This record gives sequence, structure tokens and C-alpha cells, in this order.
Amino acid sequence: MTDDGAAVPGGVNDDDTAGTGIDTTVPHSARIWNYWLGGKDNFAVDRAAGDAWEATFPGMREIARASRTFLTRSIQYLAQDAGIRQFLDVGTGLPTADNTHQVAQRVAPEARIVYVDNDPLVLAHARALLTSTPEGATAYIHADLRDPDKIVSEAADTLDFSQPVGLILSGVLGHVVNIDEARSIVRDLMDALPSGSYLSLNDGTSVIGREELEQATQDYNDSGAMPYVQRTPEEIASFFDGLVLVEPGVVSCPRWRPGPAPGDPPAELDAFGGVGRKP
Amino acid sequence: MAWAGDEPRGPTVLRMILGSQLRRFREAAGVPPEQAGYEIRASRSKISRMEHGRVGFKSRDVADLLTLYGVQDDQVRATMLALAEQAGTPGWWSMYDDILPDWFEVYLGLEGAASVIRTFELQFVYGLFQTEEYARAVTVLGNETASAEEVDRRVSVRLTRQSLLTSPEPPQVWSVMDEAVLRRPVGGLTVMRAQLAHLLDVAGLPQVTLQVVPFAQGGHAAAGGSFSVLRFAEPEVPDIVYIEQLTSALYLDSRAEVDRYLEVMDTLSAQALSPARSASFLAEIAKEI
Repeated sequence: MTDDGAAVPGGVNDDDTAGTGIDTTVPHSARIWNYWLGGKDNFAVDRAAGDAWEATFPGMREIARASRTFLTRSIQYLAQDAGIRQFLDVGTGLPTADNTHQVAQRVAPEARIVYVDNDPLVLAHARALLTSTPEGATAYIHADLRDPDKIVSEAADTLDFSQPVGLILSGVLGHVVNIDEARSIVRDLMDALPSGSYLSLNDGTSVIGREELEQATQDYNDSGAMPYVQRTPEEIASFFDGLVLVEPGVVSCPRWRPGPAPGDPPAELDAFGGVGRKP
Repeated sequence: MAWAGDEPRGPTVLRMILGSQLRRFREAAGVPPEQAGYEIRASRSKISRMEHGRVGFKSRDVADLLTLYGVQDDQVRATMLALAEQAGTPGWWSMYDDILPDWFEVYLGLEGAASVIRTFELQFVYGLFQTEEYARAVTVLGNETASAEEVDRRVSVRLTRQSLLTSPEPPQVWSVMDEAVLRRPVGGLTVMRAQLAHLLDVAGLPQVTLQVVPFAQGGHAAAGGSFSVLRFAEPEVPDIVYIEQLTSALYLDSRAEVDRYLEVMDTLSAQALSPARSASFLAEIAKEI
């Protein structure tokens, strides 16, 4: 745990609480995502925003599920095929089925996972519900994606940075609107990890849904929610510069190692991702 | 089928699952509630109560409704009828019928079927975390005229409920409590010391999360008082807010009301000390008293 310093009755350490910033008057991306994935941790404003998005672009739940199952398959790959035992999951989101530590610890109960989020609601839920196997460890860091130094220094309490780490950035870099800033965040985080570490990243695109999806995003960003930007598959691939991409490279999420299935490859959707290894 | 679980679920939630499936079939078939009621010789409001899981089901009624709704798949029909039968099987608490009010028996059914129980407590230690002696002290406070035998039976209901925590598939219990809960020596100092030690043990269970809102926090979000939110694994069953009152209880399951309480619960969870800090805070208080 990163937060187990002693508290004294009568005194409150400001860093200790997740904060009180739960606002149910503006849509909240983790809660909308929870709604699309069939969860119950969402409020009227989130369901309205999620429904409005789907009214403009009906395929959104499918994209949400595809992004989630990509995350699951990539962690499974990292734990099973690449032998990764430490994970740094930045932009955790609200707990759902098959969270990062559950997938990793199913393969390797001793796996250690650090979750990072800057949202007080997500942090409170993660601390309560994302609990580790006895053999492994889970920890939670309250930090912003834009503060890689804080993330790395606090994660070092739980992860051994001399050993490979799997960095997870699932559907979160779209919240960093400036692509140069987004690239520099990925670079800073990967620089802190040793050779043999991996990056699993996926984000939204609009190469298939095009105008409808762009319109839905525009309406969403106008609602007062934290803005999100869709990128091209090429821009998403550029986050892997300097890394060696694992087959099949950066592809639409349903096509990333879908497993043996007869017939045609799964249809492409507007979520692209890949897994890369640091040489 | 999503609602066909293998574990014993307790009658209440089975009724809710069955009811919500019946509603879905009825709506898909475009049958108004009046017509459904007529089919089974009942009123529109009976159909509504059935669909909300508030009343039991006769197998014949379920079969007739499925036919009316055009549900012909043998497997679906068999599952629905099996659910109706299971929902009619009484829970373990039926042997305490004489001392438990109906509204509390409903709660026991829901509690036993929940996948996540979130609770906020202002005054007393949460029921599933009480020691036998603490439970006895609380019971006597609430039932001053009860005979020794009745007190024993009430305490034994509480202890039987606690086996939920050690069952093969326990619910996740996420409990937030005010510092007052830890400070008020219900049953005297000796009982309270043992209770605090027990709370520390319980907090160590993997499926239990315990958080304290310290006095130093100032005012907090739960202006109303203690309440619980029960969540069920089935996507079609809504969260239920449970608020116990002196002579009855409130069950809220409308989305607007649940939203309001969920927001307060989330705010309290974020305001409270983290689970790790709460444990050390609790240990400090245990040393003080």
C-alpha cells in the first residue's frame, strides 16, 4: 500500500482522503464508460450523455467493449507469454469485470499492480474493490497523467523498477488533447522503465465512424466534460516510437490477437491499440 | 441465461429477477399490464407488484403469462418456472418468523443475495461486524421488555447472518463508519474493546473494506443517517437502498432515489480515511479506550 502511514485520531492528513470532488452535474468519462459497459456506478447526467452519444453514433457500446477486451487480452499476453509480473495502469477507471490485477493475478498470483487515477471517485472505488491476492500486491496512486515524475516516484514503493514493468494506457491519452504533450507523457513513463518493459495502449479513432463519431465527440466535449480527442491509427502508432511492436502491430482492437476463430477476421472498430516492447 | 445462477440466492432476489424478466417479455410482446392481469385473474397492480418482485409467484400464473407473451422456447420456460419454484422456498430466517418483522425478513433475503453491500453507520457497529456481546447489548437497548430467550434468539439471528462473511462466495462489504461508532462504548468498555479488536480482524478479510470518517473531518455528506446500498450481480436487478427506521424500513429502488444515495455514499467514501489509514486510526482508538 502506498497510503498506510499512521493517522492520529483527531488529526487528518490532507493527502489521505481521496477528496470530495464528486460532481453529478456534469458528465464524467469514467462513469459514462461504466454505463456503456453495463455497470451501475453512474448517474443521470452520465446516462444522458451516454445516450446522447449513442443517438448520434450507435456503435459506441461495441467500441467500449472492444477496448475493454483488448485490455484483457493484452494483459493476458504480457503475463502469460511475456512473463511480466509488474503492471502500472494509468487512468484506471471505475472497477468493472476483469480488472488489470485480476487478469494478471489469474496467470501469476504474485503479480504486483499499481493503479493510477486523478479522480476521487475512481480512487475511492479502486481502493475498496481492487484487492490483491495474498501473494501479490495492489496499490493506488492519486496522480494526474500529466505528472509522470509523481507517478514513477510513488509507484516505486510497490514496483521494482530494475525489473520489467507493463505500462497500461487504456483509452486515456485521448484526454491529452495536444499530441506532442501526449507523446512526451508516454516517453517520460517508458524512460523510467527498464529494457524488456512493455506498453499496452489503446485509444479511440474516427476512421470508420467518421462524421457521426466526430459529431458525438464534439457534442460530448461541449457538455462540460473533460474533453476527449480521437486520433488516427498512425498517431496512435506513433506512441510506440522507439519500441518494438508485438505482432500484429497497431490494429483495430478486435483484430489484436483475437484467438483462433474460423472465418473472416473480426470487423474493424474505432478503437486502435497495440503492445510494444522496450528494447 | 444471465439470471440462472447455481448458488442459492434467497427468495427475494429470485422474485426480483423473475419479475424483471416477465416485465421484459411483456413489454417485448406489447401486452399492457391490464391485459396481463386479466389473463391470470388479477389486477393491473398485482402485475406491477409481481414485476417488482414484491409478491410470490404461482407456477400456473407464470406459465400462463409466458404463453400470453408468446414465449415458446422450452428451455426459457423451464428456467422461468424453476425460478418461480425456488423463489417460493423460504430462507433460513423463516424459523424466526415470530420475532422478526416482515420488513426485516425482506432485508435478510436481499443481504444474502447481494454481491456488494455498501453501508454507512453513524452510531452502531454494522450488524455483520458485531461481536456476540456487542450484538446482545444493542439488542437489549432496542428491546427492553424482551425475555432472555427472545434476546438470545435475536442475537442468534445476527450471528447467523454473519456466516455470510465466511461463505464460499462472500459479498464484498464496503463499510464507512463515523468515528462516533468507535467511540460509543455500547455494552461497556470491556465489550467495546473486544468489539474494536474484532473490527480490526474483520478489516483484514479480503472481501471487506472498512473506512472511518473522523470527527476532524467536520461535517459530512450523510445528513440523513445510517443507510445501506445493496448491489446484485445480475445486470437487470437495480441497486436497492435500505434505511432502517424504528418500526419499519424503507427500500428504495427507483433510479432517481438510488442515484441520490449512491452519490452520498460515494462522497462519504471519498471523504473518509483510506482503508489503510482507517485501520491504524482504529488501532489508535482501541489503545485509548
